[in-house]
Amino acid sequence: MAASSSAGRVLTLCKQFQNVFRISSSINTQHCSTTLIKYQPRLYREKSPLAALSWYSPVSSVGQCRALHTTINRRGLEEFFDLPENWGETNVKSGAPWTAKQLRTKSNEDLHKLWYVLLKEKNLLLTLEQEARRQRVQMPSPERSRKVERSMIRLETVVKERETALRLLQTGQEKARPGAWRRNIFGYVYWYRFKEYAIPWHMNRRYKRKRFFTPKFVQPHIRLRIEKHLREKARKATLEKKTQSKVKEKFPHVKVSAS
Amino acid sequence: MPVTRLLYPLFQLGNPQLRIFRPNWFLTLVRPGKEQPPDTVQFRIPMEMTKCDVKNYLEKIYNVPVGAVRTRIQFGSNKKRNHLNQKVKQPDYKVAYVQLAQGQTFTFPDMFPEKERMPAEGSMEEMQEKFMEDEKQRQKLDPRRGGVTEWFGL
Repeated sequence: MAASSSAGRVLTLCKQFQNVFRISSSINTQHCSTTLIKYQPRLYREKSPLAALSWYSPVSSVGQCRALHTTINRRGLEEFFDLPENWGETNVKSGAPWTAKQLRTKSNEDLHKLWYVLLKEKNLLLTLEQEARRQRVQMPSPERSRKVERSMIRLETVVKERETALRLLQTGQEKARPGAWRRNIFGYVYWYRFKEYAIPWHMNRRYKRKRFFTPKFVQPHIRLRIEKHLREKARKATLEKKTQSKVKEKFPHVKVSAS
Repeated sequence: MPVTRLLYPLFQLGNPQLRIFRPNWFLTLVRPGKEQPPDTVQFRIPMEMTKCDVKNYLEKIYNVPVGAVRTRIQFGSNKKRNHLNQKVKQPDYKVAYVQLAQGQTFTFPDMFPEKERMPAEGSMEEMQEKFMEDEKQRQKLDPRRGGVTEWFGL
């Protein structure tokens, strides 16, 4: 129904267009040219899908069907400074930082754009802060820098989440940098992160100097280390117990704290 | 900084150029301490940034035509002493002097102009100010004493 009505509307519009042409051509050639110029923007608008929608639908729904649109705001070095009307104010209003929940609904492209917006904002705030420090006055609304920083951290976490998800799907690996649990010469086990080398490992003398194994003669020392650790733990526990009992003796009615 | 440390692939001849997504470099435009020519802008930049980086940063992100960049490293003072008489070091930073191209000039604006501001009618601030004024008036010495202190005389 809606489609048919819109088609009908287009037909009537075309007819009106033709009428205008006929009239203008009959009156004057100059007039014709002016009308053409007048109609041109509308014709161009019909090409883009969103604008065409707004053309058919009533004016009130224009705001609803418009996608997120950001104009390129290029003021050059002026972007390092706040808007001139905010200069000399003690308070500058600012919104809340972006939450991770809000950022998760955005596309990668939007996040990429937002990063640069935040970057510029942070540069602005750093400039403002430095100038305030230099002139020995208070920076107006210093909480803004904290907000920007938080937004950036959240954006970073969201991007990392997405990258991890994609990597899990594609390669089944959770970590961006592959690694393995390795044992060093003292018997400690740690996460070794792999690194890219220009030459194979058997030619790499520096890599071959590293020892990722525990010799046999270290075993008794590992045992001693464990023993030392256990002894220390036990000693601390007994000390704690003793102090508790002493406190209990001195103040029998005191409730002993849980920790 | 929030950004994760990136590990770039080892560069081999013929590899594509390394790209930076979401740069975590922040510039601070500062008022030059010494007089600079009108086309020169002074920045404080992170230590790991190079001249080419500064040029690319300003041209790509801020769309500012850059002619030449000169950098130096400012030594942070370590003259201060703390309460244990140990030396306290101020952090070093890198300074970049950027010359703008295409005959552009830049002057650092006055960001803290004196603004006449009136507190809103019936607000807390106005009441506070009024109260402070009254108190000042009340605590003023008697003008008939001619500046002689209170404890002197009867």
